[in-house]
Amino acid sequence: MSKNVEQTVKDMMSIILNIDAARIDDSTAMDNTPGWDSVNQINLILALEEEFSISFEVSEFELMVSFFDIVQVVGAKI
Amino acid sequence: MTEPQHVTVAQGKDADKSDRRATIRSHLEGGAVQAASQAARLLLQEQPSLMNFRFLRQLVDRLTPNEAGLKPFKVALVSTFSIEFIHDSLIAFGFINGLRIEIYQPGFGLINQEMLDPKSGLYAFGADVTILAIEGEDWLPEIYTDFMDSETSGERLGVVVDRFRQQIDSLLRTFRSTSTTSLLVHNFALPRLRRAGVADLRLPNSQARLVTDLNRALGDALADVVDVHIVDYAALVGHFGAQHWYDSRMRLYAKAPIANGMLGNLSQEYMKYFRAIAGMTKKCLVVDLDNTLWGGVVGEDGIGGIQLGANYPGSAFVEFQRVILDLHRRGVILAIASKNNQADVDGVLLNHPFMLLRKDHFAEMEIHWEPKSDSLRRIAKRLNIGLDHMVFADDNPAECEQVRRELPMVTVIDLPRRPELYAETLCAEGLFDTLGLTDEDRRRGQLYQQRAQAETMLTASSNIEDYYRDLDMILSITPVDQATLARAAQLTQKTNQFNLTTIRYSEAELAKRISDPDWLAITVGVRDRFGDNGIVGVMMARADRDSLDIDTLLLSCRVIGRAVESAMLAHLCELAQARGLTKLRGCMVPTAKNMPVRDVFDKHGFSKLGEDESGATTWELDLTARLVQRPPWFKDSG
Repeated sequence: MSKNVEQTVKDMMSIILNIDAARIDDSTAMDNTPGWDSVNQINLILALEEEFSISFEVSEFELMVSFFDIVQVVGAKI
Repeated sequence: MTEPQHVTVAQGKDADKSDRRATIRSHLEGGAVQAASQAARLLLQEQPSLMNFRFLRQLVDRLTPNEAGLKPFKVALVSTFSIEFIHDSLIAFGFINGLRIEIYQPGFGLINQEMLDPKSGLYAFGADVTILAIEGEDWLPEIYTDFMDSETSGERLGVVVDRFRQQIDSLLRTFRSTSTTSLLVHNFALPRLRRAGVADLRLPNSQARLVTDLNRALGDALADVVDVHIVDYAALVGHFGAQHWYDSRMRLYAKAPIANGMLGNLSQEYMKYFRAIAGMTKKCLVVDLDNTLWGGVVGEDGIGGIQLGANYPGSAFVEFQRVILDLHRRGVILAIASKNNQADVDGVLLNHPFMLLRKDHFAEMEIHWEPKSDSLRRIAKRLNIGLDHMVFADDNPAECEQVRRELPMVTVIDLPRRPELYAETLCAEGLFDTLGLTDEDRRRGQLYQQRAQAETMLTASSNIEDYYRDLDMILSITPVDQATLARAAQLTQKTNQFNLTTIRYSEAELAKRISDPDWLAITVGVRDRFGDNGIVGVMMARADRDSLDIDTLLLSCRVIGRAVESAMLAHLCELAQARGLTKLRGCMVPTAKNMPVRDVFDKHGFSKLGEDESGATTWELDLTARLVQRPPWFKDSG
């Protein structure tokens, strides 16, 4: 039994970005979330790779700049 | 003996993980820092992931600065690449090891500015340890990425090594003259790409050979400075393999060459040094016997039925014993805690031809049917060692859990199912690693045997002075010098019980004191009937106007209870008088561990000058009225 992708990504973003999981929605993005800087962007990418056992290409890094985008990109890979 | 019942929980990995995290959080909320550390250790053993490192780092960040149970520890990271991705694992592993790590990291273009300017942020930070983490290709591109340019241009590549040696010498000298912090320096790993292909090894100055030369030059440079240590980065990269160690995507995208999955390994390597620098190296290993030192159960299988010998799995147990014997040779104290009959155990220890470990190697043996936590408590008491300096290894998860619950300050190693993995499991964390080996370390095993003999003699003596006399003790009281500097510093870092002020000195700091004419720094060696204990005491004092003020007076727990401190105070009286000083002053700072020194000054006739809110007391002896007499049972080494 595993949680769905959206919930997992929310929980991870909550810890890495130090924000409340309940307040994460499709509009949550790098440009409107304090603490979501380039270092944490990389941390998020690395954590997603570990959690879902997937691998991102560099060209995909810059696509994953909002919660919505991340769920799309991750969903397509698993 | 039946197999322990394992309670199986039919939950997914996710539920276990959130259980563990919740446990850690609730321990911390209840102030049970050591229990939280234990649980965190298990969490990371199971899953050393970025998420778990981040989770723990955030918990630690929320603790109060002087949280009880954690030692503040400042780390400065100086690197040519984005090493900030290591912060979470460093803080997480620090927490597991009882350290609250605070990190200072200047930007990666600024190494020279930070290291060479005495007014830089680096020196202002006041680190406990500074780490110079520089990738070979950043420091010397001529040997790494630009090798073929140099090779075809005909430049003498040997010159590069000489230039490097000068650079590092000057860097270390500047660093050491500005700061007494410990310094860790990464050595050079082999290049990821051999630029000339297999022809490299044919070249007179091959990349491979140059890297060896660089590492030798680094080693030579370190020999001239105190408190600088090499981190064997080359060995780490080799052990995990460059293919796994490096991540080219992140190297090119974020200037972060070390792969995410490897950062935890680098942090764990740093922990080996941090523990030693913080005085938290483990001192004693307590082992189980059945299915730990040999396969099977001696009480059921008999000495002929246990597995220990040339064939698998017996050979795996022999390898494990070899590694434990090595620890003994390095100065780690060994003890046994086993549920068994003494007679069965004696049989194996004395007679089994493949035992590498024999009775003499063990300072203590607790062989009975009572709880192992009780054994550990008794062992700690008799050895005069703190439980937080002990490691317990057992193959039985129930025993491990029992000890973990009762004694959260003991490091518990759950041996894995396969005996061929025992040796690496025991050694992986470098729990016993010291920064060097002294003669005292090498002899410690023997000395514990001798101590046991001396104690037998004590019970036979009719009175304490006869016992002292019968010990035939010879004292060597000499100023600290280059040869004894390391040992003296080590004692200030490790001694907790018979220590008046518990001031820790690094070698660099101690060296500074020695060169100051107002300071006295003295070692005390004790030889007795059973052998030479080596240097077991240190005293330091400063001349201030008409008084000699005692800064440090400590004795190794091995020689407590023989009135050596009386001889030390008597010696300080003589030195004070020789300098024309009329008073001998001292301070006693009470800690959780130094009960033995509480009444030292009172017993020797000092008058109490005062006491502050923390309970620290100051004392004074008027040397014109009264001196401390040296006890008559000590002889001088002459």
